[in-house]
Amino acid sequence: MKKKILVIDDDLNVSDYLASLFQDKGYQVSVAGNVKEGIKLAKAQHPDLITLDIEMPGEWGPRFYRQLSQEPDLKNIPVIVISGLSGHQYAVVKAVASLSKPFDREELLKIVDGILN
Amino acid sequence: MAKQVLLIDRDKDHADALTLYIRLKLYDAVISTSNEQTVLFLDNHALDIIIANPFATPETCQYLLTFKETNPRVQIIITAPKSDLDEAMDLFGLNALDYLDLPINSRALDLALARAGTQTSLLTRMDRYTGRLEDLHHARNLFNQLFEEVPCYISVQDRNLRITAANRRFKRDFGSLVGGFCYEVYKHRSSPCRECPVAATFSDGKSHTTEEIVTSKNGKQYNVLTQTAPIRNGDGKIAQVMEMSTNITQIRQLQDHLVSLGLMLGSMSHGVKGMLTALDGGIYQLEAGLYQKDDKRMHLAFGQIKNMADKIKKMVLEILYYAKSRELQYETIKVEKMTGHVVATLTPLAQKHGIKFLVSIAPDLGTIEVDPQWMEATLINFLENAVDACLFDRNKKNHQVSFTVEKKSRTDICFRIQDNGIGMDAETRNKMFSLFFTSKGSQGTGLGLFIAHRVIKYHGGTVHVDSRPGDGSQFTICIPFQKPENARIMEPPAKEKG
Repeated sequence: MKKKILVIDDDLNVSDYLASLFQDKGYQVSVAGNVKEGIKLAKAQHPDLITLDIEMPGEWGPRFYRQLSQEPDLKNIPVIVISGLSGHQYAVVKAVASLSKPFDREELLKIVDGILN
Repeated sequence: MAKQVLLIDRDKDHADALTLYIRLKLYDAVISTSNEQTVLFLDNHALDIIIANPFATPETCQYLLTFKETNPRVQIIITAPKSDLDEAMDLFGLNALDYLDLPINSRALDLALARAGTQTSLLTRMDRYTGRLEDLHHARNLFNQLFEEVPCYISVQDRNLRITAANRRFKRDFGSLVGGFCYEVYKHRSSPCRECPVAATFSDGKSHTTEEIVTSKNGKQYNVLTQTAPIRNGDGKIAQVMEMSTNITQIRQLQDHLVSLGLMLGSMSHGVKGMLTALDGGIYQLEAGLYQKDDKRMHLAFGQIKNMADKIKKMVLEILYYAKSRELQYETIKVEKMTGHVVATLTPLAQKHGIKFLVSIAPDLGTIEVDPQWMEATLINFLENAVDACLFDRNKKNHQVSFTVEKKSRTDICFRIQDNGIGMDAETRNKMFSLFFTSKGSQGTGLGLFIAHRVIKYHGGTVHVDSRPGDGSQFTICIPFQKPENARIMEPPAKEKG
């Protein structure tokens, strides 16, 4: 069964990119453009991994992570932060990895592979 | 030091006796009994008093008169036989201090010597005072020059905060209002400032430094750095306070500009990183498409790369515009030509997104005096935002943007841009022209509308916004046909003229 990745980013260009990247590697990908949508999809699909942007309209990334952590069956889903903000590594301290935009494609795929396989 | 006395007398015995007497009176005395000696003594000795018989030799009288002319401080006591005294008085007049007949009365001689001493002291003191007066005059001139010419504002206030003196620069910018209250003259207030540095100096006698904003007689505001200093009277009490202010307006403006540049770059770095990531995405799609020989994917990828390159170019140009604060270059251009360029730029964009673009340009609009490059960019900016508003709106099936151009009056023209896109809430409407504010997330620079609004203002124009969430927006931009008098312009380089 394909591993599922949930991509959360308000920038369509970035989320399309991540979706194509992960799909080409054989993962099943769903995309959310904000925290509310992200929580909804996380609850519905129980992804194996979540990539999370920090700066989004409305609620921001760390808020998503807090809400995720309060769900007993979601709190252990690994989260990779992918953000253009400086200091992003401090935004979600329990993230398994934190990458800066523009990210290194190979590095990201290596991290994802290490988590999921 | 003992006073130096020269005795001129042909009668040596008489002169010797006199010398003895004078030395007993604690004077230093020398004798001349010939012309040669007289000349020697007059040329080489520092003399205070000369006791002389002017008729000792035929030349003595002339020597003495010439000497007195060049040494007015030396006192001359004439001794002569009674029969010669009248002639001596005629010759010497006031050049001699006293006239004593022979034989000399010792009492008279004592009085004459005492008078000579007093006169010499008086003259010495007068010289000293004159010298000091000259120094004072010189110092006063120097001070006046410094006061008037120093490149800062100087005013002097009394305890009631009335201006008692002001330098040229102060008078030039704030008026010659000596006697006026300082808070009225350059703060345009009716009461003293709360934390007045002048009052503080009167209170504690110390110098105080503050930064103030002052208003010139023409209504211009300046940032100044002010320092006060107490001026004390002879009793040591503070009689007045001097206020010295340096105009730092340009420094503050530069500082503000640098701070906002810094803020801008900080806030834009996130947006730039998003764009670069999207560009990476396009390149990835292109690589994948080439590898999979997927034409559709490659075609999409090219579109994405081009789109991102355009956005990055626009952002860089906006940064450069803001960093450079370029002045406007005015030209007279046909309205039809300018709006034609705008329509030509927007039409393909609207078509690409399936948005109806309605254009209505009134006939016979004639010419307009604008910076065409920036005015066209401004109108395109508003129209592109209208397209974006339609794209962000998921509720309506059909979207349209309209662009209407018509005369508002004989002197003004209006450009109306309307869309039925997502619309704006009150917060967005209030902040839309603010620096760094964007409703487009990482896609926006926060500079576009700020710059557009600034361009309209510099053209002497106005923007009216009407918008409601869900209903769309209407922008009405009105500018004068003629360049306003206070237009910010830059002369084109000489080679471009004509």
